[in-house]
Amino acid sequence: MQWGLNWFICTLRSSIGKKLIMALTGLGFCIFLIAHLAGNLTICAGEDAFNSYSERLHALGPLVILTEIGLLFFAVTHVFIGAYLFYENFRARPEKYLIKKNAGGRTIGSVTMPYTGLFILLFIVLHLVDFHFVEKTDQTIYQIVLETFSNPGYAFFYIVSMIIVAIHVSHGFWSAFQTLGVSNSGYMSLFRVMGIVISLAVGFGFGLLPIYISFIS
Amino acid sequence: MTKAGNKSCINLKLKVWRQKGPDVKGRFETYKARDVSTNMSFLEMLDVVNEEMILSGKDPIAFDHDCREGICGACGTMVNGRAHGPEKGTTLCQLHMRHFSNGDTVIIEPWRSRAFKVVKDLVLDRSVFDKIIQAGGYISVNTGGAPDGNAIPVPQESAEKAMDAAACIGCGACVAACPNASAMLFVGAKVSQFTLLPQGLPEAKKRALAMIGKMDELGFGNCTNETECEKECPKEISIENIARMNREFLKAGLS
Amino acid sequence: MQLDSKIPDGPLSEKWDRHRFELKLVNPANKTKSKIIVVGTGLAGASASATLAELGYEVMTFCIQDSPRRAHSIAAQGGINAAKNYQNDGDSIWRLFYDTIKGGDFRSREANVYRLAQISNNIIDQCVAQGVPFAREYGGQLANRSFGGAQVSRTFYARGQTGQQLLLGAYGSLSRQIAAGKVRLFTRREMLDLVVIDGKARGIIARNLVSGELEKHAADAVVLASGGYGNAFYLSTNAMGSNISAAFASYRKGASFANPCFVQIHPTCIPVHGTYQSKLTLMSESLRNDGRVWVPRSPEDRRPPDQIPETERDYYLEEKYPRFGNLVPRDVASRRAKVQCDMGKGVGDTRLAVYLDLKDAIEKDGRDVIARKYGNLFEMYEKITAQDPYETPMMIYPAVHYTMGGLWVDYNLMSTIPGLFVLGEANFSDHGANRLGASALMQGLADGYFIIPYSIGDYLAKSSHDTAREDHSAFNESSLQVETRIKKLLSIGGKRTVDDFHRELGHILWENCGMTRKEKDLKKAKKLIADLRAEFWENVLVGGTGKGFNQSLEKAGRVADFLQFGELMVMDALERKESCGCHFNEDFQTDEHEALRDDENFCHVSAWEYRGEGSKPKFHKEPLEFENVELTQRSYK
Ligand SMILES: Cc1cc2nc3c(=O)[nH]c(=O)nc-3n(C[C@H](O)[C@H](O)[C@H](O)COP(=O)(O)OP(=O)(O)OC[C@H]3O[C@@H](n4cnc5c(N)ncnc54)[C@H](O)[C@@H]3O)c2cc1C
Ligand code: HEM
Ligand code: SF4
Ligand code: FES
Repeated sequence: MQWGLNWFICTLRSSIGKKLIMALTGLGFCIFLIAHLAGNLTICAGEDAFNSYSERLHALGPLVILTEIGLLFFAVTHVFIGAYLFYENFRARPEKYLIKKNAGGRTIGSVTMPYTGLFILLFIVLHLVDFHFVEKTDQTIYQIVLETFSNPGYAFFYIVSMIIVAIHVSHGFWSAFQTLGVSNSGYMSLFRVMGIVISLAVGFGFGLLPIYISFIS
Repeated sequence: MTKAGNKSCINLKLKVWRQKGPDVKGRFETYKARDVSTNMSFLEMLDVVNEEMILSGKDPIAFDHDCREGICGACGTMVNGRAHGPEKGTTLCQLHMRHFSNGDTVIIEPWRSRAFKVVKDLVLDRSVFDKIIQAGGYISVNTGGAPDGNAIPVPQESAEKAMDAAACIGCGACVAACPNASAMLFVGAKVSQFTLLPQGLPEAKKRALAMIGKMDELGFGNCTNETECEKECPKEISIENIARMNREFLKAGLS
Repeated sequence: MQLDSKIPDGPLSEKWDRHRFELKLVNPANKTKSKIIVVGTGLAGASASATLAELGYEVMTFCIQDSPRRAHSIAAQGGINAAKNYQNDGDSIWRLFYDTIKGGDFRSREANVYRLAQISNNIIDQCVAQGVPFAREYGGQLANRSFGGAQVSRTFYARGQTGQQLLLGAYGSLSRQIAAGKVRLFTRREMLDLVVIDGKARGIIARNLVSGELEKHAADAVVLASGGYGNAFYLSTNAMGSNISAAFASYRKGASFANPCFVQIHPTCIPVHGTYQSKLTLMSESLRNDGRVWVPRSPEDRRPPDQIPETERDYYLEEKYPRFGNLVPRDVASRRAKVQCDMGKGVGDTRLAVYLDLKDAIEKDGRDVIARKYGNLFEMYEKITAQDPYETPMMIYPAVHYTMGGLWVDYNLMSTIPGLFVLGEANFSDHGANRLGASALMQGLADGYFIIPYSIGDYLAKSSHDTAREDHSAFNESSLQVETRIKKLLSIGGKRTVDDFHRELGHILWENCGMTRKEKDLKKAKKLIADLRAEFWENVLVGGTGKGFNQSLEKAGRVADFLQFGELMVMDALERKESCGCHFNEDFQTDEHEALRDDENFCHVSAWEYRGEGSKPKFHKEPLEFENVELTQRSYK
């Protein structure tokens, strides 16, 4: 292989390189999730606070667009590389085991990564259709949120999705640091704990929103 | 000799993968193992079954083994869905029958991975591991002309960590246990050993890239940090070594 | 046949240097044209292959296992000696030389052993450079321990896995040469015959163990590093695949076999626990540094160990050898254990075991200290026996461990067949009648890294022959013979399995040609083995075919050779009418039941020359001359 000639191509070709990209994009999403959660929680401060958060966010103009493009790029990368890795891993064991038991390493999060990921993709598309590409001229974002969540079916779907995001992150977060090469076992257990904390925060933080909203409306 | 029914003697049903050659389809066959002393090792149990099979004109079960003391890395099969069986930090040759109970069904399968071809029954071609080492799993010194052994001091902690990594016996259980049939633990252990020692540093970058490149080429899966390898490794090699290799890869790319 | 050891002239300490200067060199351009076959990838074979390839030779390397890294050198636990004197405790090349000569009970060559001690230091340097993770002190310097009763600390180690780490170092160097295209590697190949053309070793016949095909490989020289023959005894600490076949095929082709009866029996192994048992596991002898060996005083005493009061225990080593106590050399410790068991004082179900008790050490130093020293050994013991050595004394018994005998070689490591070199445990060279702990690894690497590269060059430079060709009639003849033998084995279709014969052979050898020997028993054994061999060729059941992978057939060939070799071993034991080192003949002992050497008549190497099936091999003597050390009686009282 022509290492060093074209670092990017080589990285893309190599398994660890692909993993690195998964980790960086995944961590990018994690940061986004936290920011997004912080924003959403303004809803608890009331209608005005929420709407003004939304307005101030959109007032940032090109920065928002840039972030959106970035996120889209991250998403496409994360999804495609994730899918490719999944395909390669599937191929790596053509003959399956008659039985295969967990030796204590795998978690719900790690086992379900590709499936939770796929579900998240589905969710993101619907989510964007509902809240992002929705017609916003004659109603505030607060109203849209209230209206959408008043549909119990949707609220349920949303809550489930958030649980699934939490599961994805429960493995993804610490895994990303392992991929990035944090080998100190002390730090590693810290990241494991942080992964759980973040996934709980995401799960509860986002997941409780529809419930909270149904209370206040 | 004690007979079955006694605590020290058991009867088992074995479900064993039989495959005549690499390109032939394999299948499971069922055998009885009678009066198995619980003091036997797993491989001794197979020996006894095989001797009976030879005497009754059947083709004995082929399995790899040599040292029978957990160091050569030749042995290893899946036993009831676990690499090297259920005991922690134990190779198949060190697994003893006292960990089974009378009447158990024991399912014995070869390691399964695209990179390991079945030679016969439970015997595998693991030469891919040698190929990975050939790609750079060494320090390039010719014989002769080495400086005095104490010329380069090696911090005790580094030496101990390098030894932890170097303890790998190349059995392939990590690949077998990995849901993705990835060889990251094996390769990580070797890359780590040499990055932890000053002697290994001059070639660190080249070595990491070459070994990882070879590993990818040979058809192993990609690591998803499931940590099953670490749990099943008979030498309890830590995934810390995988992280260290990842870092070496990053470093090599960035420098 | 003349046994010329080719020991160089001059003072002991200058012989090797002088010899190296006198050896002819091969012109670099010619090296690339010379082909060398190396059989074996243990410490000796791997180090030789790598080094010869580095020098430019074209090397072909063979091993039985699926990977060169699995050669049985991997199992060595304790360590490797070198005369570095890093501890400043009075070690020197001379002391290592003297200890090794004396340990071998004065049955090895001074010049060889001195060279070994000299080279020992280079080995450590080489291995450190390769990245072998030797144990280190806090300051980063190499650590040493004292081993096998040596009075200086000269043993280098990598936890309890020294052999593994040294082998992986050599395997790394070998792998590098494979990648460079200088070594062609043939795994899962078993050498079944040596091809000799015009009196010179020119190639081998190897069976591809996967396809069953017989392959012909020609070369300009053959290097044999196929390990020891401890498995003749069926139960030993050797790997299941360890065999004598490659060496024995060479013997049949004219290579003399030296001192076959010198077999080391290691005192601290986990005892046999059933007839199904396939191998014995060594417990490092470092345990004897802290453990006390004992048996109940009375043969009738069947109480569990913790109920036997101190006064009713027989600490027989401490009583008999107050100065060395539990640290007497391997052969002495082994024999004493046997004597106790023969008196009926053995413990455990089979009553073929003695206690190795660390209770006092645990009480004195604390469990933590003991765990740090022996934790992994205790774990291994518990895995096998399901008993916890922290709570109850370990049971141990001697087991066959190492074979000092091997193909006869001269100072250049060349056998009596020109062009056939023999390295490592497969040769007889350096350990006399008893090997000291941590010196086999040293010898294997000395042979492979630092001796063969010089001596093979001299041979190649001096000998003129045509390039080797596989279509020479000698290859066809050899191949045909091997094929006939395989067919014969498969066609017998008898009633007993190969293992069954092997077990019986092991039993005969263990009982009659093991730790202690007697003329009467040896004669009986000779007859028993001959009968067993005859039965084998009529009644063995191999099964399967010669095409493809057939482990039973592999074993059958090896056991057939062991059966023939067993006779040779017994013959050699009969011939040596003295006791020395591991060869303890009860008819020759001091009043205190210690080995009684006869330097007048037996200060020689016995070498056996094959003279055809059915005829008695011819006996040759290579007299041993001691100019630098005085022959003394070993005493450990
Ligand atoms: C359990 C144990 C512990 C030990 N501990 C120590 C210790 O602490 N210190 C010490 O100094 N020594 C120790 N020894 C002794 C030492 O390990 C061996 O003597 C030494 O490693 C032998 O090395 P070798 O290269 O000669 O042979 P081996 O390592 O046995 O290699 C033999 C090679 O030959 C190949 N081979 C054999 N027959 C054939 C054939 N017919 N065709 C093709 N290939 C063949 C095999 O595949 C293998 O590659 C120990 C030995 C044992 C068994
Ligand atoms: C909220 C959105 C998401 C977040 C926060 C997120 C986060 C992460 C993180 C941190 C990782 C770990 C990377 C590593 O192990 O190095 C990861 C892995 C993964 N993600 Fe996502 N992800 C998200 C969305 C998705 C989507 C939409 C998909 C696919 C359709 C997906 C599929 C995967 C897969 C398959 C992996 C495992 C890859 C591997 O470990 O090799 N993820 N994700
Ligand atoms: S890392 Fe562990 S499981 Fe993998 S090959 Fe090495 S010893 Fe076997
Ligand atoms: S047979 Fe050597 S590790 Fe099991």
